[in-house]
Amino acid sequence: MTLTGFFQYFVNALQWGSFYALIAIGYTMVYGVLMLFNFAHGDIFMVGSYIGLFISGALLAISIGGLVPMPSWLVLILTIVFTMLGTSIVGILIERVAYRPLRNAPRASAAVTGLMIGLLMETANLFALGAERRKFPVLIQTTVYKVEGVSITNTKIIIVGVSLMLMYILHLLVRRTKWGMAMRAMAYDFAVVPLMGISINFIASATFALSSCMAAVASVLFCTAYPILEPYMGILIGWKAFIAAILGGRGSIIGAMFGGYLLGFIEIFVAAIFPSTLRDLIAYSITIAILAFRPHGFFGEPYSAQLKL
Amino acid sequence: MRSFIEKIRSQFTRIPLLAWILGFLIAAVIERLIGSTLALPLGLGKVPRLFGIRYMLEYPLLIPNIIAYLLLIYIVPISAIAKLITPLIKKLPSWSSMPLYLMAIYGALQAWSGLDEYRVLVIQFILISILLTVSLNLVNGYMGAFSCSSGGFMAVGAYITSILTVGGFVYDDVFGSPILPPALGPFMFPIALIIGGLITALTALLVAIPSFRTRGDYLAIISLAYTFIVKSTIENLEVVGGPRGLMNQPRWAGPTVVFVWALMGIWIMRNYVSSILGKGAQAVRDDEIGAEVMTVNTRRIKVVTFMLSAFWSGIAGGLFAHVMGYINPSTFGIMKTAECLAMLYMGGLNSISGSIVGAVIYQILIEALRPMGIAKWMVIPVIIIIFMLRRPWGFIAFRELAFLRREVKNAPASD
Amino acid sequence: MPLLQIRNLTHWFGGLRAVHNYHEHIEEGELVGLMGPNGAGKTTIFNLICGLYKPTEGEILFNGESLVGSSPHKISSRGIGRTFQKLRLWRHLSVLDTIKLAFTSNLNYNLVDALFWTKRYKRREDEIEERTYELMDTFGLTDYADARSLDIPYGLQRRVEMARAMALEPKLLLLDEPTVGTTLYEMYETMNLIRRIKEKFNLTIIVIEHRMKMIMNLCERIKAIDFGEIIADGAPNEIRENHKVIKAYLGEEEF
Repeated sequence: MTLTGFFQYFVNALQWGSFYALIAIGYTMVYGVLMLFNFAHGDIFMVGSYIGLFISGALLAISIGGLVPMPSWLVLILTIVFTMLGTSIVGILIERVAYRPLRNAPRASAAVTGLMIGLLMETANLFALGAERRKFPVLIQTTVYKVEGVSITNTKIIIVGVSLMLMYILHLLVRRTKWGMAMRAMAYDFAVVPLMGISINFIASATFALSSCMAAVASVLFCTAYPILEPYMGILIGWKAFIAAILGGRGSIIGAMFGGYLLGFIEIFVAAIFPSTLRDLIAYSITIAILAFRPHGFFGEPYSAQLKL
Repeated sequence: MRSFIEKIRSQFTRIPLLAWILGFLIAAVIERLIGSTLALPLGLGKVPRLFGIRYMLEYPLLIPNIIAYLLLIYIVPISAIAKLITPLIKKLPSWSSMPLYLMAIYGALQAWSGLDEYRVLVIQFILISILLTVSLNLVNGYMGAFSCSSGGFMAVGAYITSILTVGGFVYDDVFGSPILPPALGPFMFPIALIIGGLITALTALLVAIPSFRTRGDYLAIISLAYTFIVKSTIENLEVVGGPRGLMNQPRWAGPTVVFVWALMGIWIMRNYVSSILGKGAQAVRDDEIGAEVMTVNTRRIKVVTFMLSAFWSGIAGGLFAHVMGYINPSTFGIMKTAECLAMLYMGGLNSISGSIVGAVIYQILIEALRPMGIAKWMVIPVIIIIFMLRRPWGFIAFRELAFLRREVKNAPASD
Repeated sequence: MPLLQIRNLTHWFGGLRAVHNYHEHIEEGELVGLMGPNGAGKTTIFNLICGLYKPTEGEILFNGESLVGSSPHKISSRGIGRTFQKLRLWRHLSVLDTIKLAFTSNLNYNLVDALFWTKRYKRREDEIEERTYELMDTFGLTDYADARSLDIPYGLQRRVEMARAMALEPKLLLLDEPTVGTTLYEMYETMNLIRRIKEKFNLTIIVIEHRMKMIMNLCERIKAIDFGEIIADGAPNEIRENHKVIKAYLGEEEF
């Protein structure tokens, strides 16, 4: 592998890592605060893409139609914002309808319910919109920069930049606001939060809303780079992000970010070195190996069944 | 109205399961004899294949006719016969209970499925699903883990068994001429299945051993990664067909064969969970440290439970391959695992009867709702979600239907 | 040979020294008490004996054999039974099953027997069930055999733990605050129960207790610890007068 080749892969890995990181953060937040694996999260990503599709389509129609002309970067920003809104609503609804009643049930039942909701959303999409793949409108005119022989598109820069920015905003929200503190408190001790005058339901909804926002951003960014949409697009990326979240240490937002980028790097560099059909195989094997040696992930709290006395 | 329903319900509370099964058997025989002759005057072109549910979806106008058919052939005869037979059953000696159950179930299935090839297939899938669900229950229910490895285990069993049977007995493009005389085939099938199961059990160590150091949630990932890895490995092995799959499995998995294997699996797994050894798994779930201090070797329990579960999932996979006559890696992915999880959690944790019920309900739903096309996959998740919301532990959890319970032998005389 | 010998036992949790230079020497047939204020390290000592932690330093010998480094299930199989301060029952198992489980090291049948329901398996399971009923009878639990272990009254739950510990046929029984949360009457009942089973089963017992009435009247010899170190060791009336013990529990008198 040449040095230019290496940096090329590096840039790609950053891009994919950003997607995984954003989605992984969503998983990890819900897990940390609500002790729940939301297996519908990958499909929330998918729903976000479609919401983004329609919103960007509408905005472009308004813009091009002459009503309110907007530069394309504005369309992108507005798309992201409104998609976050729309996807949050979906997330909050899912929490309300499916997870809230199961709060006292075994966690596995909630997990299975999540899987079913995911399936429901996929099929509903297929049913309502047909099997035809949709194309996301081009919102960013691609310019390729060549730096020392490495091609970097502006799209990739935007993706990584926006992702990092949003992760930072989330970090501020969680660390500096009262609601963020409530979320972290709930992650430590579920029962205490309502005793402090904060409603668990509110925090639960807020957590799902934030988690879905991150997925929404990921979906819009993903669609700018890979504009083909289909109902099952969330499955694979969802599971991978889930693995990334666990690699990073469940419940840790920094961990999820780290896990996401780590997985991106593992995948891209494995694909670079080994034949492409073996990519998944080797990537998952590496993941199992890492987990075998660091079961709590990189940033998770060490937990040993032995010591819980 | 409510008291009317109550009155009817009270008529039927004391009827043992065996009576219902025998009732179903006789109803099936009746259907064999007069079913088609009855269908015509009722306005139905042919006998409804799956209790008329598919029929009702395809021809909603005929619903009253179908209901009439169900009443005449199923509901009334079954209820009447069950009620009549009950006093006779109560008089039977207790040792005859299990053999009678087996004969009754087998007879009922034979009688009912004799009418239509399709029914045979449905029953085979139900039996295979029962094996999958019960084996998953060992790990997820009794041992309290959250393992997502069903798809992977099934794949390993399916492929190993298929390689042995196709490679050994069939002339095809992939493996060339058969190695062994074809006459030996059906007798070698059990051996092929067992080898498939054993190899699956060995690979289960990949999931079981990491689970020693990790808490339950991480097992989900590891088992998920296992399923992915198995799928990827198969896709990369051109020698077994890669993504295109493997076919030409000889059709040695007839309904009786599948029934016998399912029975053995249920029996063996039930023996495990009702033994003190098996109860160790529940202790590991409820308080692992307490278990360790009470002489339970928790590592050994985890390994044994995983391997037993994997073995029978592998057998289910092998049976599946030979019922279908074709397998490919995509059959054994996330979707299959999700189905197994759904059957398990719907049916009930920590209960073999629950797993049987869950598998039966799910498979019947899958088949019965076929006329809905893709919409089926909206209705089924909704049904399962509603189920989970109302009964989060499952339909029958932590209890067993009477015929699966072990009797308490040495209760003191005062009881 | 003493049944249990502990020498120089020291254990650190990270930077916290939980046990320091603990030593013990127990002959067969003794009934010994271990007391000390909360956080003194009593349960930690039990956990170290049982193998739940591996001691940072020190020796633990049971019948002359070292226990250090063995896994808990092996240690308990050698004949050490214990109850827990905070009950560790198995919420979904019946009382009968709970006690039966402690026979796991004594099954005398293997996996194949269990899977295929062989005669040997049936015979052994019946024997074990009989022995379990005998044990339940000793502890007054027969009526609750099929009840789930957490569905019965609290005092009985404690007895289930004791019966379970007895099921593994221990030579040494470790009781960790067996009367926590019980009434005075239940405490006296428990004391009598302990004396009875010690007699009947030839046990050697170590009891951790806070309640003075119990530990002073039950034990022949008591060790008191504070901050992980032994502060007193001797007969009950010596301990009662020992000013270090009084200081640890009540604080110092100020004039």
